[in-house]
Amino acid sequence: MSLPAWWTTDPLASFELGGRTVPGRIWTASGCFAYGLTGHEISAPGFASPYEGVGAVVTKTVTPAARPGNPMPRLAETRHGAINSIGLENVGYAAFLAETLPELEARGVPTIASLAATRPEEFGTMTARLHEAARGMDHWHGVEINLSCPNVAEGGHDFGSDPGTVAECVAAARAALPDRPLLAKLTPNVARVADLARAAADAGADAVSAINTVIGLDVDLATGRPVLPRRFGGYSGPAIQPIALAKVDEIVQRAGVPVVGVGGIETAEDALKFFALGAVAVQVGTAQMRDPFAAARIARDLRPA
Amino acid sequence: MTDTPAPAPVSLTGRVHANAAVSSGLIRLDLELEAPCGFQPGQFAMLNLAGRRAFVFSRPFSIFAAEDRLMSFLYRVVGRATAAMAELGDGETMVMLGPLGRPFPAPDPGRRAVLVAGGVGLPPVHSWWARYRRPGDAAFFGGRDGADVPWGLLDESWGVSVDDPGGVPAGREAFHGLVTQLVESRPDLDRGPAELFACGPEPLLKAAGRLAADRSWRGWLSLEEHMGCGYGACKGCVVAVRDEERRPGAWRTATCCLEGPVFAAEDIVWDAATAPHAGGEACDAGGAP
Repeated sequence: MSLPAWWTTDPLASFELGGRTVPGRIWTASGCFAYGLTGHEISAPGFASPYEGVGAVVTKTVTPAARPGNPMPRLAETRHGAINSIGLENVGYAAFLAETLPELEARGVPTIASLAATRPEEFGTMTARLHEAARGMDHWHGVEINLSCPNVAEGGHDFGSDPGTVAECVAAARAALPDRPLLAKLTPNVARVADLARAAADAGADAVSAINTVIGLDVDLATGRPVLPRRFGGYSGPAIQPIALAKVDEIVQRAGVPVVGVGGIETAEDALKFFALGAVAVQVGTAQMRDPFAAARIARDLRPA
Repeated sequence: MTDTPAPAPVSLTGRVHANAAVSSGLIRLDLELEAPCGFQPGQFAMLNLAGRRAFVFSRPFSIFAAEDRLMSFLYRVVGRATAAMAELGDGETMVMLGPLGRPFPAPDPGRRAVLVAGGVGLPPVHSWWARYRRPGDAAFFGGRDGADVPWGLLDESWGVSVDDPGGVPAGREAFHGLVTQLVESRPDLDRGPAELFACGPEPLLKAAGRLAADRSWRGWLSLEEHMGCGYGACKGCVVAVRDEERRPGAWRTATCCLEGPVFAAEDIVWDAATAPHAGGEACDAGGAP
């Protein structure tokens, strides 16, 4: 494709975010590229590795304790998207710090750690321990807090939908993270996402990632029941791209907060739409599952001549 | 068990070289890839249509054969993606990511090999047979009926069973019953140590696992599981496996595409895999919330 005249940014060039240099503007989204340790051995014509040109890998979300995740099936493909109910399966924070993070550093994977918790103060304690464990690491570039985790303390509501709670979580993480970028990943399942972005920025977030998955459900006509055992899940993929673009625009226009765009990005053209609205970087999620090289191809295709 | 290192996976495009029925229900797809690609028996590849016709997720298919740039698969039309695949004509483009997953082990010199395949589970078993078969080993295929059996792919070395005895061609024989019953009807196979390699639908795998356990055979099962990515990125294809190191009777979730699709039969926890929410409870002992 020919790049538009307004696009003059090298997506592989480092840029400043939260006072730190991040290696590039094309990232992989949390949950769609595991911890950044998978797939290193895969090649494709023109690519020695799926990590070529990837500015940052946002890790699979880790929680205070290991989680086994939800029962199968965990995925439902729809005509233009996918619904997932993985259930935040993860190795847990202790194993992440002791094993995953050092291996990411040893492999030189540019890493942004995704954290989730059920209480705001846990974001503070997790971030503090991460900061301690990652002291001296060159390839750890910051934290993205995942605010779409069901809040056990508040009866299962999505606590990322309340600006006050978002601010509490961000403030707790910010206090423990003086020298790395802090991002808050926002849910689109609210009426006014700009309010969440404003709350996150006021509490100290350097940027917000928008959007997380949209609540979705699919029905198995043979059984007459939802496909996923937990009924609904997180809808992602090309179908949600216009929703993501609208939320990004709302945040930029009404809250004036730096945004990392995410939602249905499969190609360089898709990524350009987010950059056109003012996104400082983009994340590739669901497309990464079909093609490990999706982000790498976008980074290559967006390099100005 | 002796493992030959599997070739590193690669993302390639391929052109349909052949896409034709080999039985009433099974279709053989031959892809001519843009570069050569090897595999180990039991490994799989993720396939998808190319460009704008691509599905959101690719689908996993066990590799039937691969030589130089030609890679072959067997599939059955079970949903939207396989229905679209069946419409593809010669020369049309697909994308292939593979070879992926842990293969069947190579033969143990101290054990007879007994191979069991059901329906579309034939490729990993057939490729093992083609590569490793030794005198004294035995291979069996179970189909729904005579028409469902891909006779052209099974030479006389294969024992064949059918659920329904109709449609068996003249000159070929088929046992009426389950393929595991066919194995049980062969007492000669129980002389000396053996190991069983199986792929097929879940009832067949369960029966094969029981058969191996009853006879103190080693068992290797290749699981058919829905997958999102095929390379360990999404955690969408988990199975419950024993985790005796942590605690007797405990189990953990294993990612089928990375740790499998081939598992030791004794490691698979069938009940846990079908019991909703059992994961959280069973894993609590290991520190999960």
